[in-house]
Amino acid sequence: MSEGRARVVAWIGREILPHEADLRAWLRRAFATAGDVDDIVQETYCRLAGLSHVDHIGEPRAYLFQAARSVALEQLRRARVVRIDTVTEIDALNVELDEPSPERIAGGRRELERVARLIAALPDRCRRIFEMRKIEGLPQREIARRMGVTENVVENESVRGLRAILAALAEGETEEVTAVRRPSTHDRTRKRR
Amino acid sequence: MTERESAADIEAAAARWVVRADRGDLDPAELEAWLAADTRRQGAFVRAQAAWGLLDRGRALEVEEAPRRLHVGRRGLLAGFGAAAAACVAVVVTPRLLAARYGTAVGEIRRVPLADGSLAAINTDTALEVAMKPRKREVRLDRGEAWFQVAKDAERPFVVESGPVRVRAVGTAFSVRRRDGGCEVLVTEGVVEVWSEGAGEGPRRVTAGERVFASDSAGAARPIPASLEITRELAWREGQIVLDGEAFGAAAEEFNRYNARKIVIADPALAEQKLVGWFRTNEPESFARAAAASFGARVTVRGDAILVQSVAPLAE
Repeated sequence: MSEGRARVVAWIGREILPHEADLRAWLRRAFATAGDVDDIVQETYCRLAGLSHVDHIGEPRAYLFQAARSVALEQLRRARVVRIDTVTEIDALNVELDEPSPERIAGGRRELERVARLIAALPDRCRRIFEMRKIEGLPQREIARRMGVTENVVENESVRGLRAILAALAEGETEEVTAVRRPSTHDRTRKRR
Repeated sequence: MTERESAADIEAAAARWVVRADRGDLDPAELEAWLAADTRRQGAFVRAQAAWGLLDRGRALEVEEAPRRLHVGRRGLLAGFGAAAAACVAVVVTPRLLAARYGTAVGEIRRVPLADGSLAAINTDTALEVAMKPRKREVRLDRGEAWFQVAKDAERPFVVESGPVRVRAVGTAFSVRRRDGGCEVLVTEGVVEVWSEGAGEGPRRVTAGERVFASDSAGAARPIPASLEITRELAWREGQIVLDGEAFGAAAEEFNRYNARKIVIADPALAEQKLVGWFRTNEPESFARAAAASFGARVTVRGDAILVQSVAPLAE
């Protein structure tokens, strides 16, 4: 991963992921007709991934909403350009973008607590793997050795854990992160690999 | 086309790629191929990477509030280097010689680190001169538009001069665009003071998320809150134009700032149609065609002109 890219990814983790649950709630309300919120969110992250630098973005939350809104509009009309008089919903969308939500902007200690909570909420074996990988910093191979399982098992559990964490971020954290345990909207998967 | 891959499937696959990369069991070409097939995959992948990376903060939990790793960002480095360089140079070189000129041609956008650690993003067709003086950092904007991220230095205010209009900042980020009869100032971080030497009025404070127009003769108007607009209007720094209800005519003028090939709208009613969309500043023709398609208009390219005409009278 190039240095610039690494910085953008770290920025997304720090400044964008904490707002994802709000973004989804807003998209569901404002763009109920725009198709799949999950699609819009993925496209939006793709836009963010394309940024070459992020230093200039003073308000990541507003930037995120703006980007998502633009993606939603595109999906709404499929055409690249629409006449505004046909997009009546737009006016309703300016609300709440400017509201900062300071309690969600995780700085320092808060961010640590959030990470600890996300890991603690994982199912048992998953949690042990994440503790070894992310807290103790052991590589996957060493984790497999210590647990007496194959590396593939560690990989599968890690994927499972990461998905649970993504789902928790998508749903927004409640105190106990109960969200992780109940099936998320993501799990309307038809097939599993 | 086969059935569209579901977002959930993409998300699951993205998580696996990230974990495999972490395991060191990854063929980059294979990942590239997977990513290239769908932009949603690219989004899901970066999202999973970001979450995975976020968890690395967990390392700090092991040693309970370990001292924060020292982050010397590029800006910090530049600031340090810039200050050191300025300190060395100032002894032997007169301030006059420290002035640096930066110009951009039509369509060109430059990002320039300044000697004091500040950063300037210079938009199309702009003339800028920067003089780092011992007590003041002076920037002259004769034409065009630039955005500045100003390194903090309470001893040396950063002042942009454009005609009689002045914009002063200590450590903050803002843009100044020269227009006929005045300047448009957008503030993205911190606070700036705006006034015109020609107006005999005191400076006006403009804070992050606000915009203000400072007329050469009458000085700064009341600042208007406009944070979303500002993000949109500064999209040029990424080489983009973001339209959100602007008139086609105004949007075309915006494109014409960046390109030798000019969009010409033949019909005034057409120019008033409102648009939404994201575009590259350097693709005026694809913009014109997309807009024309949505209005039922026609595009003809003749030499350097991209002509947009109504086919039939517009409805309404």
